[in-house]
Amino acid sequence: MSATNEMAPPNARTAVAARAVGLSKVYGEGDAAVRALDDVSVEFERARYTAIMGPSGSGKSTLLHCMAGLDTPTSGQVFIGDVDLTMLSEKALTLLRRRSVGFVFQAYNLVPTLTAAENITLPLDIAGEEPDKAWFDEVVDTVGIRDRLSHRPAELSGGQQQRVAGARALVTRPEIVFADEPTGNLDSKASQEILTFLRSAVKDHGQTIVMVTHDASAASFADRIVFLGDGRVVDEMVEPTTDRILDRLKSLEG
Amino acid sequence: MFRAAIRSLLARKVRLILTGLAVVLGVGFMAGTFVLTDTMTRAFNDLVNTGYAPIDVLVRSSNAFTAQTSSLEERDPMPESVLQDVEGVPGVARANGDVIGYAQIVDPKTGKAIGTFGPPTAASAWYEGNGFRLKPGGSPPQGPDQTVIDAASAKTHDIAVGDRVEILFEGPPREFEVVGLAGFGESDSLFGATWAMFDLATAQDVLGKQGKLDTISVVAEPGVSGVELQRSISAVLPKGVEAVTQATVVSEAQDQISTGLGFLRTAFLVFAFVSLFVGAFIIFNTFAIILAQRTRELALFRALGASGRQVMTSVLVEAFVIGVVSSAIGVLVGIGIAILLKGALNATGFEIPASGTVILARTIVVSLVVGSLVTMIAAFVPARRAARVAPIEALREAQDRPGRSLRFRIVAGLVVLALGVAPLLYGLFGTPSNGLQLVGLGAALTFVGVAMLTPLIARPVAAALGLPVRLTGVPGKLGRENSMRNPRRTAATASALMIGLGLVVFVAVFGASAKASTTAVLERTLKADFILISPTLTGFSTSAAEDARAVSGVDTVSQVRQAEAKIEGGTAFVTGLDPGTFPVVSEVDAVQGGLEDLANPNSIAVFDDTARENDWTVGDTIPVEFPATGSTSLRVVALYSENGLIGDYAISLDTFDVNVANVLDTFVLIKADEGADVATVQADLEEALAPYPNIEVDDQAGFRDRYATLISQVLNLISALLLFAVIIALFGVMNTLYLSIYERTRELGLLRAVGLTRRQTRSMVRWEAVIISVMGALFGVVIGIAFGWALQQALEPEGFSELGIPGGQLVIYVVFAAVLGVVFAIFPARRAAKLNVLEAISYE
Repeated sequence: MSATNEMAPPNARTAVAARAVGLSKVYGEGDAAVRALDDVSVEFERARYTAIMGPSGSGKSTLLHCMAGLDTPTSGQVFIGDVDLTMLSEKALTLLRRRSVGFVFQAYNLVPTLTAAENITLPLDIAGEEPDKAWFDEVVDTVGIRDRLSHRPAELSGGQQQRVAGARALVTRPEIVFADEPTGNLDSKASQEILTFLRSAVKDHGQTIVMVTHDASAASFADRIVFLGDGRVVDEMVEPTTDRILDRLKSLEG
Repeated sequence: MFRAAIRSLLARKVRLILTGLAVVLGVGFMAGTFVLTDTMTRAFNDLVNTGYAPIDVLVRSSNAFTAQTSSLEERDPMPESVLQDVEGVPGVARANGDVIGYAQIVDPKTGKAIGTFGPPTAASAWYEGNGFRLKPGGSPPQGPDQTVIDAASAKTHDIAVGDRVEILFEGPPREFEVVGLAGFGESDSLFGATWAMFDLATAQDVLGKQGKLDTISVVAEPGVSGVELQRSISAVLPKGVEAVTQATVVSEAQDQISTGLGFLRTAFLVFAFVSLFVGAFIIFNTFAIILAQRTRELALFRALGASGRQVMTSVLVEAFVIGVVSSAIGVLVGIGIAILLKGALNATGFEIPASGTVILARTIVVSLVVGSLVTMIAAFVPARRAARVAPIEALREAQDRPGRSLRFRIVAGLVVLALGVAPLLYGLFGTPSNGLQLVGLGAALTFVGVAMLTPLIARPVAAALGLPVRLTGVPGKLGRENSMRNPRRTAATASALMIGLGLVVFVAVFGASAKASTTAVLERTLKADFILISPTLTGFSTSAAEDARAVSGVDTVSQVRQAEAKIEGGTAFVTGLDPGTFPVVSEVDAVQGGLEDLANPNSIAVFDDTARENDWTVGDTIPVEFPATGSTSLRVVALYSENGLIGDYAISLDTFDVNVANVLDTFVLIKADEGADVATVQADLEEALAPYPNIEVDDQAGFRDRYATLISQVLNLISALLLFAVIIALFGVMNTLYLSIYERTRELGLLRAVGLTRRQTRSMVRWEAVIISVMGALFGVVIGIAFGWALQQALEPEGFSELGIPGGQLVIYVVFAAVLGVVFAIFPARRAAKLNVLEAISYE
């Protein structure tokens, strides 16, 4: 399962939405150099919900940023589908993010001057494309914010804002959605809502989701968990439960 | 607390520089004005000192006052016999008689008369000690065929010793051989004047002063003081002739220099203050934005026990430091501007003698004080707002906070607006002695009042302006939304532009009105087919009219002259005209009496409104004081309505010539014979007047166009000076954009993450700039038209009958503002596009 080998079997490649090969990221130079990612190779299967966990400074956010084309790796390769991100220009990366990647951040997900509906269709508007009305309706209903579409972010609760962000991530039918601590700023009820929504996006629509979190109960919604420590993949777990995750975390830290 | 203030300054260098820039430019303008005028004053004073150094006493006719506008002193000549009397006074080593008068050298290459607006064109006698020094290779002029001319004119027009030149006088033109070139003191000319010199007899002849002298320069014997000599010479002088010491002559000349340059200084300082005023808006806005962004930091200070007063003081300290540092840089910039301008003036022929740049302590002190005060005053309101930040806000999420209630803003804005409009209108329509100051103060307060009210309409205006922008795509849509999200900020930024452009539009409307009014009145009154005029309006020889009379097909030739006089304590222009022929060439509506009565000696006709203001009527006798001849009493024989050519007062040519020393025609109006072919007559006139290259033959339309062009030239100069304020305002747009981008780092990161390209990001920022700039320009157009209309209404009795609104020009201004908005958005846009997405979306 875990792809520490560099060559994945050909039949598996179609089942992989994104993968990292020998990925390293070093910040700073010389003595001050910090190796945030150290030769990481990992695959994220299509239509699966993967969580990345690890203690602070384990490199989980860096991995997500590199996978999403927001950060440039020091060495190694990153693929979304068959496209090698490290070969792309800044402009091509922007277009790829627009078409093939969806984002849900911890906070500040929405443009305050735009309504909820406008925020959802923002990536399509930027690309100059018309939203697929049926799909838009479905996404909006899935996140349950139909009655809030004409409101601006300031008039929405934190949970509603994150659901709008989720809808925006799905509306382009991206190859993959990256979620960076999407429940970090939410109370437990709102967290449940957004996690359930992401779960159903995978189950009902075959969406691929990669989520960074440090919250074991959030991670328990995933199909698979990749554990990072000191910039390396140290472990993984399939079909996780909260208790098993907590045990594993304890053992990793201990 | 102070340390925190300084730290906070240093932590925000870009903002610091941009805020300071507004002050730097305004103070630079002011300091530059001081340095330039001080330098010119010093240089000219030095020149006067060296020029008059050889003489001890000057003998001349006394005059009543010295006219400000005529380029040559208005004094009647004295009889030549005075020279012998002076030479006979004990203690006189040498006495030289001199005459001086109008003369204009004709460029032998181009055939055009040399001379521009401003410096005089003159001729005088050549003698040792007249201030001019012969350049090597020349000899003094001797006999009726020789002249020495000033070296500056020779240099710019490529005239060499041995060349023959034509020279124009009050009488007929003549030709001379140039036998020498001369400079005045250290300089190549006397303040840029064109000067031709002859031996005394020739000078008397060509200037029409045979047997007469204007001045006698006296050199004392060694050991005789100037004051002593002046006393003993005075004793032998006839009535109306005076002797003055060298010190008196020098101080008179220097007084005139400082009056002239003082006018220039005041005019430039007005523009410098406009720039500083615009700068103050930018400082205000910058501080308001920065302090809003620092709310949590300020609240933290408050939570830690700082009083509101301490917070306010720290902000004002910040403003003070910015003010002092920027003003200091502004002084340096000003010195640079002054040196550049001096070079530019030299290049255009307005020669400033070489001398060091003069930087007085006053320049530095005034610049520093004004610059820092303006900064602190502008920062005062934001500082007070900062002082009211509650400690609890340290804990709140920073958001766009709602401002104070709109009702307060409406009331305060209307009060300030009323405080501005009242003195503005009183200054315009009332007749207070300090009208100009009232209008200036009123205009400033009106701008502030309008600026306070603009946030109320900024959102809908931005929305409306943004509608077409919105259609251009997502960047346009986002730019529009950004320009609408903080109406106060958008309005304050646009307001700075409103002031600059408002004044430019006001000048344009004023100019268009002036042109339309002049054209309208001339169309109504002018009956002449041709008008003779010198392009520089210096006037020309009266013999030209004689030559024109001889042209076949010419029916009536009517000469018009103008001179300065004092009436009712004020300076006024008096027009001399021929009451017999003038009504043939120009329609004069006599409200009372008749213009023909001007033929009676010592009579005057007065413009209807002027007479009403002074409560004069036909039959009254009014005192008129001429520079050369002093006070005389003239009887009012007619009151007339607006004519366009003759101003407030008209006298007959005879009365004019008796009272005015330098007699030149300003216009000659010519009516062709009925049935004569106008084109042929014009061609014949041009041929007959060929010896006078300073005269042009205009037909009616050409004459009106000439006036319109003259008005445009003056107004273009004013607009160019106002451009400085517009540029400062655009720096304000740039500043606001920078600050907004800083504030929206997160949002920009998000937009970039979800796929906004760098190009689209830049485009978004540019659209915001365009909307803000166009909004400011439109506000400016509205307020500028309002000001122009008010002035036109106020001046309507003076002949401003028409309101001109130069539509095409206004459209150009608005487009210009939009384009400049884009230009000034280049750097903020690049900054926004270069934002590191990761940094933008990572959490602190």
